[in-house]
Amino acid sequence: MEAITLLELNGRVRSALQFEMPDAYWVQAEISGISPSGQGHCYMELVQKDPTGRTFLAKAKANVWRNTWLHLKPYFEEQTGETLKVGMKVLLQVTVTFHEVYGYSLNVQDIDPTYTLGDMARRRREILQQLEKDGVIGLNRELDIPVLPHRIAVISSATAAGWGDFRDQLSNNVYGFRFYVKLFPALMQGDDVERSVIAAMDAVAMHRDDFDVLVIIRGGGAVSELSCFDSYALAFNIANFPLPVITGIGHERDDTVADVVAHTKVKTPTAAAEFLINTVFDTAQALETLTRRMSDAVTERMNSEKLRIEKLGQKLPSLFAVTKVRGEQVLENIWNRAVMGANNVITAHLHKLELLEKSVASADPAVILKRGYTMTMLNGHVVKDAAQLHKGDRLTTAFADGTVESEII
Amino acid sequence: MKYEEAMKRLEEIVSRIEENKMDIDQIGESLKEARELIKFCKDKLYKTDEEIKKILDAQD
Repeated sequence: MEAITLLELNGRVRSALQFEMPDAYWVQAEISGISPSGQGHCYMELVQKDPTGRTFLAKAKANVWRNTWLHLKPYFEEQTGETLKVGMKVLLQVTVTFHEVYGYSLNVQDIDPTYTLGDMARRRREILQQLEKDGVIGLNRELDIPVLPHRIAVISSATAAGWGDFRDQLSNNVYGFRFYVKLFPALMQGDDVERSVIAAMDAVAMHRDDFDVLVIIRGGGAVSELSCFDSYALAFNIANFPLPVITGIGHERDDTVADVVAHTKVKTPTAAAEFLINTVFDTAQALETLTRRMSDAVTERMNSEKLRIEKLGQKLPSLFAVTKVRGEQVLENIWNRAVMGANNVITAHLHKLELLEKSVASADPAVILKRGYTMTMLNGHVVKDAAQLHKGDRLTTAFADGTVESEII
Repeated sequence: MKYEEAMKRLEEIVSRIEENKMDIDQIGESLKEARELIKFCKDKLYKTDEEIKKILDAQD
């Protein structure tokens, strides 16, 4: 039995591979690991999973050498708006290599971004179908944007240029409308976007009564990395959010899932600000219109009242003639009644006066003396009591025709 | 009062005057109310509401 060295064996494997598989192949795979090297190369781990996504069916290392990576990376990013990252499905053109020390690996020559775009679109469709099935897809769109959306919660990265643009656009609006903007900072790039934006949304929801709308914005940048907005969890939160959500996450291509479920989607933060300004402008216009209608209606009403009064004025002389005759009659009646009333009062008083006169007359002492009575006086005072008198008092007795003096003995 | 409510009330007043459903004495009253509502709306649009600022600042 002839033994060979490991190096010889590996050398034969390499020869066999080179002989059997000299061509380049287009391979579909998922990236499970990616790390750019300091020298400008890029090392990847590629996998193929079974339909459940839990088991690996195949695995391989792949290298993108510096010269290739230098143009492949920007090309892919320009075409897809995404950076190559874990979980992404890619279509790579590779040659198969075998190194005696490092073993089997793939040498990446080229990439087809349309495959990745297609896969992302398929994922978006699946998420949208799921949202549709769960009955939430149109919920946020059913909310009404308030007529005066001026209290605005904003989710953005605090350092993003887009956030500054948004604020400037609002505060410098030519109409002089007032807006109140509050930032709820979140990461808008990288693997943490979903978690971070949802946490910020929860914070806004806690103060939902203090705001009219929620705006989610992101500054531009060369690589938009929008796939993080193709997230079921994020979309579910937006759809169920209690305030209307406006997205302005900066992109030109197809809408992300977040855009689809949002109440209103615009392309840029600036456009989001414009949308709000225009909404308030419409409201201000409506107020102007109402104000004008008010003054028109009042003017018209006043004019028609004036006309009515004028017409009435023309009729007045003839109306007055009739009224005068009637009025005179009324006056006469009143006069007659007044005179009659006065007569009655006077008669009653006269009668009373007569009675009074009679009773006064009957009380006159002269009349009483004439009837045969006398009046006894002591020292000029009438004596009514016999006990008042003493022996020796000199009395004056008055008769109707004169007086006599007498002394008590 | 909310802006929307003010607009609704204003619309109501204007419509009633337009439809001749108000007598002259009421129009005087309503005109006063309408003027107040318009001022309220304009303030909301163009003047800074310190109350709102305070509420939002308090959230930090």
